[in-house]
Amino acid sequence: MKKNRLIPIVLLKDGWIVQSKNFSQYQNLGNPVATVKRLSEWASDEIIFLDISRGDKYDTKRNDQGYKNRGSFLDIIKDVSDIAFMPITVGGKIRTIKDIEDRLLSGADKICLNSMAIEDISFINQASKEFGSQCIVISIDAKKNLDNYLVYSKGGRHMTNFTPVEFSKIVEDNGAGEILINSIDRDGFGGGYDISLIEKVVESVSIPTIACGGVGEWNHFSEALEKTNVDAVAAANIFHYIDQSVYLAKKYLYESGFNVRKPDLIKI
Amino acid sequence: MNAKYCKKCVYPISAVNLNIDDEGICSACKTAEKFEELSDDFWNQRKEKFEEIIQPYLNKNESNYDCLIPVSGGKDSFYQAHLIAKEYGLKPLLMTYHGNNYLPEGDHNRDLMRHAFDADHIVWGPSVDTLKKLNKITFKMMGDMNWQNHCGIKTAPIQIATKFNIPLIIWGETDWDISGMYSPDDFVEFSARVRHEHDLRGYEWYDMLKHGLKEKDMMWAKYPSDEEILEVGVRGIYIGNFFKWDPNKQTKIIMENYDWKPSEKPFERTYRRFSNLDDRYENGIHDLLKFVKFGYGRASDHASKDIRTGYMAREEGVEMVRKYDSVVSSDLYYWLDYVGMKENEFWSIADTFRDPRVWWIDDGKWYKNNIWGGASSYGNVHLDDSGIENFSKKNRKY
Repeated sequence: MKKNRLIPIVLLKDGWIVQSKNFSQYQNLGNPVATVKRLSEWASDEIIFLDISRGDKYDTKRNDQGYKNRGSFLDIIKDVSDIAFMPITVGGKIRTIKDIEDRLLSGADKICLNSMAIEDISFINQASKEFGSQCIVISIDAKKNLDNYLVYSKGGRHMTNFTPVEFSKIVEDNGAGEILINSIDRDGFGGGYDISLIEKVVESVSIPTIACGGVGEWNHFSEALEKTNVDAVAAANIFHYIDQSVYLAKKYLYESGFNVRKPDLIKI
Repeated sequence: MNAKYCKKCVYPISAVNLNIDDEGICSACKTAEKFEELSDDFWNQRKEKFEEIIQPYLNKNESNYDCLIPVSGGKDSFYQAHLIAKEYGLKPLLMTYHGNNYLPEGDHNRDLMRHAFDADHIVWGPSVDTLKKLNKITFKMMGDMNWQNHCGIKTAPIQIATKFNIPLIIWGETDWDISGMYSPDDFVEFSARVRHEHDLRGYEWYDMLKHGLKEKDMMWAKYPSDEEILEVGVRGIYIGNFFKWDPNKQTKIIMENYDWKPSEKPFERTYRRFSNLDDRYENGIHDLLKFVKFGYGRASDHASKDIRTGYMAREEGVEMVRKYDSVVSSDLYYWLDYVGMKENEFWSIADTFRDPRVWWIDDGKWYKNNIWGGASSYGNVHLDDSGIENFSKKNRKY
């Protein structure tokens, strides 16, 4: 039986790895290479690396460190993929087929689309024809409006008329290989996943779904794996708070009897 | 070249690791606001949570230390030891990394700990010959002579904890507050990444070997592997996440209860007298180099903190910045003598680290913008022609 994956999401803003709260407050954590190296050493199953910069200036303002201060996103992906022993999904600011090609050539294994998928659904089709649907992950940011969930684009700043279920079906029909479903309301609050949102999306499609948004303790991963048929569980901030985080989370799930890979450490 | 400053404190946006939001408030102020908003009730709950966390380590332990506390003897670690050994009555192992930079008051305070607390104390310091070499190497490499201190403080205790089988390390202040990296609800613990990246600037002991040091010289600088750490279950928690951190108040407590001494002489680069007695350069030329690199210094740090905790008004903070940030302190001459370097060489190396986002050259002098408005010159340029060319090349990039 296919294993459930545990996936750290790494957010890059203006050259920094950041943590994000409610899609609005950001805190600089450090250099992309230092972060990804640790996630790699803890044998993460995959990572999702998202560029959430609004501008195109990448600069950690540090020239006195033993790291390169890279000025371009593609160079950052190259650095990061050099030390990543797991597949990397790269997302953020993808507008054209050439953007996808550039990211794959720089070391990305899969591509994650968000705003562009909403603006032009045929782009998903085009991309999956060109690169194969297994390569195309659609990230869906959902927010609760009264009783209904709606899909947002542009980093949560723009509301659409799609419900997550409608939109999930549309992206599946157009050749998406995987869905990353994130709850804007839960982002960075650590209170647990929005289980009903995840369940709705998982049940509406047959492609794999990754749950995201709200993990504050390891048993939030268990909750999603227990209560829904989600294929993978992801989180961002929590993996930055303690050492050996991914290893310890996986150990927790493994020892609780979940169908995940055995916790491991990799020497890099 | 428009220097921008946080609207609340006195930090420039060039401050290390700082993020400034759309309203012009820096992430350090945002984090501090979150801490300030917290009620007594909140801190009582936190205290309970702390006791919950340490409980398992105490119950299973009859024949070993209860925890390890990395201490310099400074105000923070003295207070940590007070809290753990006196108030909680635990038996900690105190562990000091000795980088040979102590001021006389700092020596006194460090050696006082074993008298003040019922605790054993290990002091571990590299050979002074190694230290002198490292001072010089890392000054040239990263513009910081104190790399050895940052490395030792964040390495030696973890090594001792794994060797002595002590799973719980108790650190003090949540040191990322300085740039607001994390929030109180994150319950951040010590991590090898933050150590490697922020304390050690991305360099490790092996990067020093090509400069004439041997592996044998650097034993204290080797960080244990994940396997070794997981084997013992070593984790480092921060008291600052569980108890309201107020250095002014804590200093008062340790001065009233013990013979802890602040600096007898005022520092040249800041107005606070109770910080950094364990290291003569931290408030001196180590910090002067921060001014050289990023255009702000310890007085900016201290004033920003004191503004956030309500001990100082912003205007007063600006005055402190004006008065102290650019002072060339006399420990420079102590250090030049210690490592055997000429002053001119010092400045020509220091100038290679000037941040072009902050500094510009006019008529052979370094200029930068001031928080009180306008720009001033801050000394002569010591770069040769190729150094100046390198600086302008970097300048064009930003």
